[in-house]
Amino acid sequence: MKRHFPVIRWLMVLSIGLVVALGLFSAPIKSNAAEKTYQIGTDVTFPPFEYANDNNKYVGIDIDLMNAIAKDQGFKVNFKPTSFNGAIQAVQSGQLNGMVAGMSVTPERKGTFDFSTAYYNSGVVMAVSQNNNDIKSLKDLKGKTIAVKTGTTGAQYAQSIQKKYGFKISTFDDSSNVYEDVLTGNSVACFDDEPVLKYGINQGTKLKIVTKPAAGTPIALGVKKGTNKDLVEKFNAGLAHLKKNGEYKKIMDKYLNAKKNTEDNHSFFGILKQNKTFLWQGFLQTLWLTIVSIIFATIFGVIFGLFGVLPIKFFRGLSSTVIYLFRGMPLLVLALFIYTGIPTLTGTRIPAFIAGVITLMLDEGAYIAAFVKGGIESVDKGQMEAARSLGLPFGKSMRKVILPQGVKLMVPSFINQFIITLKDTSILSIIGILELTQTGKIIIARNLEGFKVWAMVAIIYLVVITLLTWLSNWVKRRAKI
Amino acid sequence: MSKIKVTDLHKQYADNHVLRGVDLEVKDNEVVVIIGPSGSGKSTLLRTLNKLEEPTSGSVVVHGTDIAQKGVNIDQVREQIGMVFQHFNLFNNLSVGKNIMLAPVELGKLSKEDAVKQAKKLLGVVGLENKFDASVNSLSGGQKQRVAIARALAMNPDIMLFDEPTSALDPEMVGDVLNVMKKLAKEKGMTMVVVTHEMGFAKEVADRVVFVDDGIIQEEGTPDEIFNHPKNDRLKSFLSKILEV
Ligand SMILES: Nc1ncnc2c1ncn2[C@@H]1O[C@H](COP(=O)(O)OP(=O)(O)OP(=O)(O)O)[C@@H](O)[C@H]1O
Ligand SMILES: [Mg+2]
Repeated sequence: MKRHFPVIRWLMVLSIGLVVALGLFSAPIKSNAAEKTYQIGTDVTFPPFEYANDNNKYVGIDIDLMNAIAKDQGFKVNFKPTSFNGAIQAVQSGQLNGMVAGMSVTPERKGTFDFSTAYYNSGVVMAVSQNNNDIKSLKDLKGKTIAVKTGTTGAQYAQSIQKKYGFKISTFDDSSNVYEDVLTGNSVACFDDEPVLKYGINQGTKLKIVTKPAAGTPIALGVKKGTNKDLVEKFNAGLAHLKKNGEYKKIMDKYLNAKKNTEDNHSFFGILKQNKTFLWQGFLQTLWLTIVSIIFATIFGVIFGLFGVLPIKFFRGLSSTVIYLFRGMPLLVLALFIYTGIPTLTGTRIPAFIAGVITLMLDEGAYIAAFVKGGIESVDKGQMEAARSLGLPFGKSMRKVILPQGVKLMVPSFINQFIITLKDTSILSIIGILELTQTGKIIIARNLEGFKVWAMVAIIYLVVITLLTWLSNWVKRRAKI
Repeated sequence: MSKIKVTDLHKQYADNHVLRGVDLEVKDNEVVVIIGPSGSGKSTLLRTLNKLEEPTSGSVVVHGTDIAQKGVNIDQVREQIGMVFQHFNLFNNLSVGKNIMLAPVELGKLSKEDAVKQAKKLLGVVGLENKFDASVNSLSGGQKQRVAIARALAMNPDIMLFDEPTSALDPEMVGDVLNVMKKLAKEKGMTMVVVTHEMGFAKEVADRVVFVDDGIIQEEGTPDEIFNHPKNDRLKSFLSKILEV
């Protein structure tokens, strides 16, 4: 098999290059971890506990309180905006030191978390549409559907009383979707923490609260059980101090007794104008994520696609396995697995952006590998035989005769895959990458204008995809393919 | 002197025993024509001569090297054996001239300028001098096959293998290709092994005709012996069938 050596060596060099490149990417982040900064996870779409304000800076009870405590106790905080569930998993995998996200202390969570002293006592209330006069209490819910946000105390409370009052539950990932479901009438009511619902109503959501706070639960900072004792101690000391000097009350008043917001312009262009920088940044992040991922996915896919046509069983097996594995896995699962799973195995933190690139490299790369392999295989076998019969070695035959013909067949698939990659970046909002979709979620969490903001986001995606299509058609024409 | 010596050659695909003990010798300047019914193993036999098929057992000695052995540098042996396929297999991504130039340039046999000169000369030999820049797809079948012959000749082989070179051609094209092959045999004294159904060609050009059926050589001899005085029953029935057509 010696005669194949040059091709394989060439592929090996590429694979090693890939690994090194990824290593370089993550190297500077490792040194960050050595600094005396706590990585704190938070759910950025949970006002008034945490949300992005009009200037798209993160504010809220949790943010302000944590910052005040950090200042008081002399440490630094680096907020990692993810979803609530994403933060839970990142804390459990050691990606983050802790989380403040309006997190209730529950017996179940105590199994895997250690908590600080509670800094707030929240109660769940029920809200209905403003013009709904039929639902006045829990008893009126029989046979109806109610909406809750996943993982919230509201959701738990609803579950605990579901049997007694006989209603159905719809769950959503974002508050705005919960409210929307009630306003459209799909659900008759929703349950959430009182401050959260009050904030929504202040923002102009046409809901009203119809019950008294129930099932009060303490809210606290959470860390992975048995870790980060120092953080918990500093938090408790700081909280006690702030309560004494009045700063705690100031923060609470600021958010819990907020005035009704009437200044915001909620028209399409008003929202666009207010958020244009934020959306632009999200767009740039999406573009950057797409470009980097496409480069890595292409290298990865071409290598494993070529492995699939080598005359050596081991490499062909490797290729089919990789294609089978990563093509068969939902992108969402793969992203969460890599972001939270790999640190659990290796003990090293992995930044969301790198996790995102690796996810897309593996997933899109598997598709690329499949059509690279397919493209080469669909070149007539006689072409290879003719080249080999002239005395050309396998690698040369591949490069001079087979690949040029195979690539031609692959071009439409490549363009297609690039567009899919762009769209798939939106799924990475789940691990908190601040790309276009996540940006949209955050804006909506504040202004609760889901329809208008999603329309903007959709238009931006369409514009980019159109540009990308034009670009690839131009390349296609230039290359005379 | 013997150029190719095949001894007790077997080839098996799973439980399909295609070649079942073939002995064959091809001497310098000799033209050997292989005939036989469809599926009898002619192509398989021809393709083991340059290891496009790997023999299951037996030896295939070409220029003194047993290419059936493991670890042989087969590329070096192939440089000296040209092969022409039934379906031409011209490189679709290259022009006619570049098809011919690819191997000598890539393997460092000729500089680019010399390869251009040689390609033009070879196109002259096969009667296509003005097709150097033509694209492969613009050629007729007969022209394609003549380019394929020129391509094989570009490596300066001293053995040429032909696997039914005319059976994919329209009847009016067959003559052109056969004429090139005759020229090769008669003027250049090329050693050739030809699988074909063109009995006229066999009668006129072959030094020896080999009849393969059921994975073995049933009978071999001069064209006169094979066509006019066949002994083997299978050969007799094969001849009667093709002469009917
Ligand atoms: N790659 C392969 N795998 C499995 N079986 C094969 C393969 N190549 C050839 N065979 C089988 O070997 C037998 C002989 O095939 P071969 O092509 O040598 O016949 P042939 O004499 O050239 O026939 P034809 O005149 O039709 O070209 C056939 O039964 C064929 O199905
Ligand atoms: Mg055949």
